[in-house]
Amino acid sequence: MGLLSILIFVPLLFALMILLLPKKYSQSYKYFTVAVAVIQLAITAYLYYQFKTGTAFTGVNQLDSYQFKEYLPWIRLDVGKFGALQIDYLLGVDGFSIPLLFLSALVMLIAALSSWEIKENHKGYFSLMMLLNTAIMGVFCALDIFLFYVFYELMLLPLYFLIGIWGGVRREYAAIKFFLYTLLGSVFMLLVIAGLYFSVIDPVTGNHTFDMVHMMNPQNYVPDGIFSFLAHQDILGIPARLLGFIVVFIAFAIKVPIVPFHTWLPDAHVEAPTPISIILAGILLKVGGYGIIRIAYSIFPDVALNLSFYIGLLGVVSILYGAMVALAQTDLKRLIAYSSVSHMGFVLLGLASLTSEGISGAMMQMISHGFLSVMLFFIVGVIYNRVHDRYIYNFRGLATHMPIYTGFVMVAFFASLGLPGFSAFIAEAFSLIGAFNSESINGLIPRWMAILGSFGILLGAAYLLWTLQRMFFGQLRVKEESWLIKLKDLNAREILTLVPLAFFAILLGVMPSLVFNIINSSVNQFILLFT
Amino acid sequence: MDSIINISNQMVLILAFLLICAPLISFFFSLIFKRFASLIAITAISISFIAAIILFIKVWFSKTLHFSIPWIAFNNFDIRLGFLFNDLTVLMLLLITLIALLVHIYSVEYIRKDKLKPRYFAYLSLFCFSMLSLVLADNLFLIYIFWELVGFSSYLLIGFWFTKEKAVSANKKAFIMNRLGDLGFLAGIMIMLSHFHTLDIDALFGSGNLIASSFTSNGMWVSPFNMMPDYWLTIAGLCFFAGAAAKSAQFPLHTWLPDAMEGPTAVSSLIHAATMVAAGVFLLVRIAPLFNESVLIIIASIGVFTAFMAATIALTQNDIKRVLAFSTISQLGFMMLAIGVGDEASAIFHLVTHAFFKCLLFLGAGIIIHELHHLKEKHQLQFDEQDMTFMGGLFKSMPITAIVFIIAAMALSGLPFTSGYLSKDAILISVFEWADVKGGVFWIFPIIVSLTSWLTTFYIFRVVFKVFFGDFRLPQLLEADHHQFKIHEANVWLKYPVMVLAVFCVTFVFSFQPFSLEASWLFNELAPQQHVGGIYHILVPIYINILSLGLLLITYLAYARNKFSFGLEQTWIFKFSYKQWYFNEIYDAAIVKPTLLKAKAYYWFDKNVIDGLVNSSATAIIHISSLANWFDVYIIDGLVNGVASVVERLNIWFRNVQNGKVQHYIVWMLLIMITFFIYLMIF
Amino acid sequence: MISLQHFLFIAAVLFCLGIYAVITRKNAIQVLIGIELMINASILNLVAFAKYDVINNNGQLFALFVIVLAAASVAVGLVIILNFFKRVKTIDPNKANSLRG
Repeated sequence: MGLLSILIFVPLLFALMILLLPKKYSQSYKYFTVAVAVIQLAITAYLYYQFKTGTAFTGVNQLDSYQFKEYLPWIRLDVGKFGALQIDYLLGVDGFSIPLLFLSALVMLIAALSSWEIKENHKGYFSLMMLLNTAIMGVFCALDIFLFYVFYELMLLPLYFLIGIWGGVRREYAAIKFFLYTLLGSVFMLLVIAGLYFSVIDPVTGNHTFDMVHMMNPQNYVPDGIFSFLAHQDILGIPARLLGFIVVFIAFAIKVPIVPFHTWLPDAHVEAPTPISIILAGILLKVGGYGIIRIAYSIFPDVALNLSFYIGLLGVVSILYGAMVALAQTDLKRLIAYSSVSHMGFVLLGLASLTSEGISGAMMQMISHGFLSVMLFFIVGVIYNRVHDRYIYNFRGLATHMPIYTGFVMVAFFASLGLPGFSAFIAEAFSLIGAFNSESINGLIPRWMAILGSFGILLGAAYLLWTLQRMFFGQLRVKEESWLIKLKDLNAREILTLVPLAFFAILLGVMPSLVFNIINSSVNQFILLFT
Repeated sequence: MDSIINISNQMVLILAFLLICAPLISFFFSLIFKRFASLIAITAISISFIAAIILFIKVWFSKTLHFSIPWIAFNNFDIRLGFLFNDLTVLMLLLITLIALLVHIYSVEYIRKDKLKPRYFAYLSLFCFSMLSLVLADNLFLIYIFWELVGFSSYLLIGFWFTKEKAVSANKKAFIMNRLGDLGFLAGIMIMLSHFHTLDIDALFGSGNLIASSFTSNGMWVSPFNMMPDYWLTIAGLCFFAGAAAKSAQFPLHTWLPDAMEGPTAVSSLIHAATMVAAGVFLLVRIAPLFNESVLIIIASIGVFTAFMAATIALTQNDIKRVLAFSTISQLGFMMLAIGVGDEASAIFHLVTHAFFKCLLFLGAGIIIHELHHLKEKHQLQFDEQDMTFMGGLFKSMPITAIVFIIAAMALSGLPFTSGYLSKDAILISVFEWADVKGGVFWIFPIIVSLTSWLTTFYIFRVVFKVFFGDFRLPQLLEADHHQFKIHEANVWLKYPVMVLAVFCVTFVFSFQPFSLEASWLFNELAPQQHVGGIYHILVPIYINILSLGLLLITYLAYARNKFSFGLEQTWIFKFSYKQWYFNEIYDAAIVKPTLLKAKAYYWFDKNVIDGLVNSSATAIIHISSLANWFDVYIIDGLVNGVASVVERLNIWFRNVQNGKVQHYIVWMLLIMITFFIYLMIF
Repeated sequence: MISLQHFLFIAAVLFCLGIYAVITRKNAIQVLIGIELMINASILNLVAFAKYDVINNNGQLFALFVIVLAAASVAVGLVIILNFFKRVKTIDPNKANSLRG
């Protein structure tokens, strides 16, 4: 039982405890949740601290150089002439997963702290949240693609109920839309996983295997396998590997989300209760980005290389389109949801460049967006909890009424519009630099994409500053007089929640090498896949 | 020449740290210890000022110093944190800390009654930190970071009175317009990084370094690392210029600066006149070796156009701060022009002198506004304290302010014995010489620039005479008793900073020979080889200044004595100038509104087309499934039910046969027999 | 000359009338009359066809038998009707449904 397993199953244990505890203790559930999150944060911080870098610890397609590895044979089924079915409980982390693990633990803590607003059915809510926690940690640790898929699908179930039961007015619509949309992507991915399974053998045992690390190595493919590098098989007249990549890419693109697969996001975010919005924006979107790196790009590097132009283009379109739509929003939460679309576009653009600075920038953007979107959604939650309204035009001049709150809003807004000194600036700058350098280094995406993408930063400033001006500055005026009493400034718990986020956003903005150094060797190894 | 005091390089490093950290610490401490905010901020900037003096003495006249530590490293490049000390750096440090110190002292009185005073000093400290770091930064990436941070602190300070509607839309506009320029800067950084794999200024632009070793041939721009089509060289230059143009309020990104006057006047003087807006000029001077011929011509053209345009606008404005704002834009245009004609030394020289006299002009205006504001509050009046139509004759009540203001105005017009005389004529001479070399159509530049120079004299003395001479118009306009409104001289907090600044507007600070540019210690160090005599050195100052003096007389008669008026108020030229060439209206109609419309259109598209596609595919699936349901209910299940119902029908039918009625039976018998017979007959 | 067809036609008409009466009448007496008509129609046929058996005169003989039997059956029928009437106070044959299941 390694640390990763503890990390994954502690929440499950607590979920069981919550289920077993009598209802009269229901006020204590939230403290359990916070306790779990604190434990996890401590574990991930320890892992992060212990994480070794260098050429011997690259990860990616080197199974030996993953760290904190855990291996247990899970399912061994003799299926006659197909050999033995080999599904393993295989966990491990490399430079791509370790920062995301830490981020997840932190976001879960914030989500737990913001769950104070949940008023009904504590038992169901907190146990589902613990289940979700397990699934999230599992996704980032799993190295067996089957295990990954199990965790990946396991995330959907609690989310569906969490949105559908504790959500806003149109919660059923949003929950079903979210669930079906994501499921649609992942169901087809299952077919690709099956295809991969029959194409890849474990070089040691000779069995077919679900081990993703083996799937990244062209030597492990059987010569006539459907996804073999050499066989050039076709499915419906499309090269099999191309189709496989596209299917997997779309499955994760829905999660990221990338235009035009993004429309579930505003609905889900708007309808979800604040802690769930936080988890959605802070972690779920990163699962998409992580999946693209870990599965789509790593297993199908040849196809990814050929499609770089289009992937970069999708990234640029997401950046500009998301920002433009955000500019037209009047609902604060929806505005932030669309800004997420815009910001996640940088991830794709940086990734498509396949340069070390671009990919590092993309990773940084995922982490930074994790902190900042959580902060933004929490900020919306503060107002919504107090007056149950988020319509931008209903507020004005809040700066005089809620000065501390406005201070945090300004930090969050300026951090997300890419002010230097905050992590988002470093992330966006290096994504763009990577995209720009790409033409000189590997010729994958043209320079104009980087220039065009940088306009997203400008639009980001436009919509955030407009909101700031509209809601927080000017003479104090709100829709109803009674709101003025309800709109109290932040309490200690809320300040406690926001401070670490702001702290990390600044820390990574000032010392980005905290992340860059950790991921650097993995990024370099990752780039080697494409040469 | 060796440095005057001997301190080690390590000491320099420590001093530099002290220099930038003092304001940063002050930023936090001012917010925490609110009661002592002004004290903390002034102490911090004083420390910076002393450090700047020591650094200046150490570095001036000696070689470049460069310190750096690793920060971010990638495969093919790394970005370091570091300090770069050269003449330009220490000169700017000294300038900024001196002016900032004076403005801090001035602000104590100016902002005394405001309950957000701690925040004001915190923001001011943040600005000082960013600006000093910007100057000290050793690579373009760091410059960019602090470039944006000064923009941010300017945003905070413009919107300091955040309940004022105009202030908050002005700071938004300033930030977004600066962002637009910053995109150019960022693009420039990307080009440099991609091409040279470093952003270190010393490595890139130092003598005999990377820029020097790159060249263009056969349509390609070649560096030791890379090759690009040569248009990227031009693009890189233009990108950096875009960044500089936004920060220095050059056409077409100049409209934010007049709006930025919504901030406190002390802020306007420090940030929007003396230091931050000069950062654009500073940047261009730092990277000057990058520019090729076409970029330089573009810079010169934009500079001269901006100078002229802003001067024409300044002619008609009634808001005193607005006149000064356009004057700033115009003077920055002069500096840009100087860079465009390849005379960076004059640009920097003018930057320095301009910083002093423009800061002084603003602070002077600030005193007047401050006193009028007091009057307004005391007597519960309703008028705009920045409007010059309410002023006049203030010389008598505030002589010191008037005198320093007039000194600054003279410096701005470039009259002899002022610092402006040296620096402005340096630019004019360079432009004349440049046009002489280029010939032909390039003579437009000196013509326009001379014209602008005279316009400058006109508009600034228009202000001087309207404000300080003639009669005090406020009582007349408000129809009140003249003696009721007493304007007082500024108190010590306001008075001494402006007096110090006034000293720096005099020639003798910069040169002991009032008519010789070359004798200036500052100019000499910056450009030892340039300006070695020539016909223009004698002719240009004479012809500019004689006409200026003539204009001075005209303005005196027109505005102080009211001997005549120009009577142009109703003409389109006046309106064109008064409305600031309609730039705000044009931008609003051509850029802002279409963008917002486009945003709405995109949202519509998103909601109805993309999401509509998702929803309609959901609806389509629902329809298909209800079709399947119908098929299931009526066809498949219908078949089963149909058999049953047929049997049931038959059952009912046959049951009716045996109804116990004899006659029915007979009919049946008959029918069957007939059927039988018919059957027999047919077959 | 009266041919066989004329007799057959008359007999058929009589028979049809008889059957019509049997089916439609609501009165048992009339039904009985209808039956008589039908019997007589058959008698007429027997007599008419007897022309072809001049030696044995079987047709005539049968006709006599039928007349006797008809008289007997009418007697029986009338008795039944009488008893029926006594029992249910009607002579409508359709009402005689007490045997109906």
